[in-house]
Amino acid sequence: MTPSILSAEKLTVEARLADGRRLSVLSGIGFALEAGKVLGLVGESGAGKSMVGRAIAQLLPPGFGVTGGSLTFGNRDLVHMGADARRELLGREIAFIPQEPLSALNPVMTIGAQFGEHLARIGTRSKTRRQGEALALLEAVHLPRASELLNQYPHELSGGMCQRVLIAMAFASRPKLVIADEPTTALDATIQARIIALMGEMREAYGAALIFITHDLRLAAKFCDEILVLYAGRAVEKGKARELLSAPLHPYTRCLQLAAPSLSAPERDLFTLSGEMPGLARLADLPGCRFAPRCPNVGEICRTQEPRLTPVTAPLGDDPSRKAACFRTEMTPGIETRSHAASSRHERSSPLLLLVEGLEKRYRSRRGLFANTELAAVDGVSFTVAENEFVGVVGESGSGKSTLAKLVIGLETPSAGRIELGGRDAFDRSEAARRRRVEVAQMVFQDPQSALNPRRRAASIVTQVLEAAAPRLSASARQRRAEELLAEVGLPAELGARYPSQLSGGQKQRVNIARALCATPKLLIADEIVSGLDVSVQAQLIALLRRLRHELSFALLFISHDLAVVRKLCERVLVMRHGKIVDQGMTEVVFGAPQHPYTRELLAASSE
Amino acid sequence: MGKRLARQDLAFLRSGRVIAGAILVGTVMICALFAPLLVPHDPQEQNLITTLVPPAWSAGGDPEFLLGTDSLGRDVLSRLLYGARVAMTVAILASLGAMLIGATLAHIAGYFGGKVDWVIGRAVDVWMSFPPVVLSLVLMTGLGAGISSVILAIVLVDWTRFCRVLRAEVLVTRRQDYVAAARLVGFGHWRTLTREILPATMPLLITLFSIEMGIAVIVEAILSFVGMSVGANQSAWGQMIADARQTIYESGWNLVLPMLAIFVTVLGFNLLGDGLRRSLDPRLMQAREL
Repeated sequence: MTPSILSAEKLTVEARLADGRRLSVLSGIGFALEAGKVLGLVGESGAGKSMVGRAIAQLLPPGFGVTGGSLTFGNRDLVHMGADARRELLGREIAFIPQEPLSALNPVMTIGAQFGEHLARIGTRSKTRRQGEALALLEAVHLPRASELLNQYPHELSGGMCQRVLIAMAFASRPKLVIADEPTTALDATIQARIIALMGEMREAYGAALIFITHDLRLAAKFCDEILVLYAGRAVEKGKARELLSAPLHPYTRCLQLAAPSLSAPERDLFTLSGEMPGLARLADLPGCRFAPRCPNVGEICRTQEPRLTPVTAPLGDDPSRKAACFRTEMTPGIETRSHAASSRHERSSPLLLLVEGLEKRYRSRRGLFANTELAAVDGVSFTVAENEFVGVVGESGSGKSTLAKLVIGLETPSAGRIELGGRDAFDRSEAARRRRVEVAQMVFQDPQSALNPRRRAASIVTQVLEAAAPRLSASARQRRAEELLAEVGLPAELGARYPSQLSGGQKQRVNIARALCATPKLLIADEIVSGLDVSVQAQLIALLRRLRHELSFALLFISHDLAVVRKLCERVLVMRHGKIVDQGMTEVVFGAPQHPYTRELLAASSE
Repeated sequence: MGKRLARQDLAFLRSGRVIAGAILVGTVMICALFAPLLVPHDPQEQNLITTLVPPAWSAGGDPEFLLGTDSLGRDVLSRLLYGARVAMTVAILASLGAMLIGATLAHIAGYFGGKVDWVIGRAVDVWMSFPPVVLSLVLMTGLGAGISSVILAIVLVDWTRFCRVLRAEVLVTRRQDYVAAARLVGFGHWRTLTREILPATMPLLITLFSIEMGIAVIVEAILSFVGMSVGANQSAWGQMIADARQTIYESGWNLVLPMLAIFVTVLGFNLLGDGLRRSLDPRLMQAREL
């Protein structure tokens, strides 16, 4: 057996609260990473996966500390290492690839200057040699025109290019270990696939071991050798990547697998896990298995005793390292979802709700002193949406899909074209027309953080429509409507008294949806509303939208870069590129037998 | 409103800065309000036999004049208390005026943007290019001495401070999706401004207001120091400092006490403003209940 580069044993991280209580953030995490291998740390937000990376760098947030177990790099103890020794190690033998490539680069320094600084720190003395090395590395990550790039600033580069630069910098010192924390989450699907491929290539070329932190189980299974699934600070399952994905043993892994929509699998319901991962403060009061409150297979023993990560014989494959922390692993394959009959599908004969014809939006951008170029964000787009129809709009970022949403809802004024909403011209700028439109179309915004006024309570946010439409409504009537709406989106009434900062991401997005539903609109425009969320929350929201469609009957214009989600939710799809619709039709047809080369490219990037 | 005022809305009462600031400001306010009841002597009553009596605690002090007397034998404590009246009147009215003008223009500029914003922005630029001290002295010369001129001068000089700082905050808030969402649920401009944007800029507004009150106290002191504020028959802190210059070697206390009064008042306003900003902003009170 090859000696391990990095090993963790019973690693425990605790947070100390202001009142002196201690909360365990990570407990009993153990793994051994061999040279040149890839370990995937998979879990949803709050699972503690980033804490592992932070514990290695000793970059834990204030009040957090490693309180037990060991972390060994080579033969050195990382937990009790002095600050100077660690600084020597980090960036040289242990390198990091960050999540947000744009904010990881200094905006006021050129790429060349930053690269040079990094190379100088890791020991390249001569300036000309630094230049050469930087060029070679940028070429190694397949960046075109590398020499020009050195004189450019980060904002002149796309997110994908910045991430390539950072990957090049991470591998510059020929590190033994690279830690990549969600390196592709902020990027487009098409670029995502290329970045993952690039990391694999670099890892092989430089022989480094890699820790890949992600929320995406499928992605991890593709890329990693071994996977450790984390839930609420515990390791719940461990095993070889492919076997773990093909036959999960822990119910949580199984649920994650069933909650992620797929592009190729036969049509079936997404598994919706009830509830959410318990927050830090609540963890302390859970006596048994931390997954028990949400587990579909929960038994008596789960609520009282905490399962340990123990070796389990997998039903298929012979993986001796396979472990799971569950008392009832034999029941896990039994968790299933209904396969879908085409029952809830929409009939095409419904009356027309939205008609868009030749819609254009041009921006003037000034380059240099004289060159005035016009940029078409939306360029001659025509489509229709019928009543109670779910239509998806897909495309990469910059394809104009968000601008399209803003044009339809009236937040932007089109340069040309026609929009008809419910049989009326939507360009009527009068106040009365604006009021009328409130009842026809509503929008759910992308970022719930920005879309919810932090100074209003949830109940006041969801009934905002009434403030304008019925200002004399009594407080109790408004409260009743708020409770109705919260119940509709599956939130308990007592959450109405909370401020947005006191809600989780999924709850915020539900409040966001509830506000749009208050006026019972006929058309809902949703801009990337599930993209920033965890898989299980995403599945919950998809199920919610499907249920609401039955109960309230509305049409949906669903904008997303995630083709699998669109396939799950929408019966018709528009594919956008450079402001134009390049392909459209029934989802099954467009995705099942793609005609346009761009659709094929998108599909190839997001499936595999 | 009553029942909406939950426990956490009053959380600002637990901030040390707010408490300290409120005590200082409150004390000065009470002194100003109840000056006629609190003063041991008429502040204008001259007594040329008992001039330059040192404070009661030092050698030669007289318990009848707790903080001593000035060169004309007037009671310093009484003059300080009446001086607080002038200072507070100017602080409140001048800051209110500057805030109303500045904040209104800032919200209009930041919210509507475009040409309106350009016009208001340039007006602020031009206005701010005059040195504030020169501008206020010119204004005072034009308006003539007197407390209402002081207030007007401060309003006309300092509205730009509110306008410029608040406009930036309005711009940031304006770009939030929740403002767009409010328009989409049928809010008019007025309702959007008052219900969505104003609450967001309020913490900054309160801070600026509080700091402006401190600045107004100082400006009033400066103007009364050069004799352009209240007349000689009223007492103001700046005037007291000016008077005490003559007898600085005989009685340092006469100089130090009004300066101390100004210092304490300004400190109080600054502490209060800073503390309120920190604790009124729900963005800073992260998930306390979780």
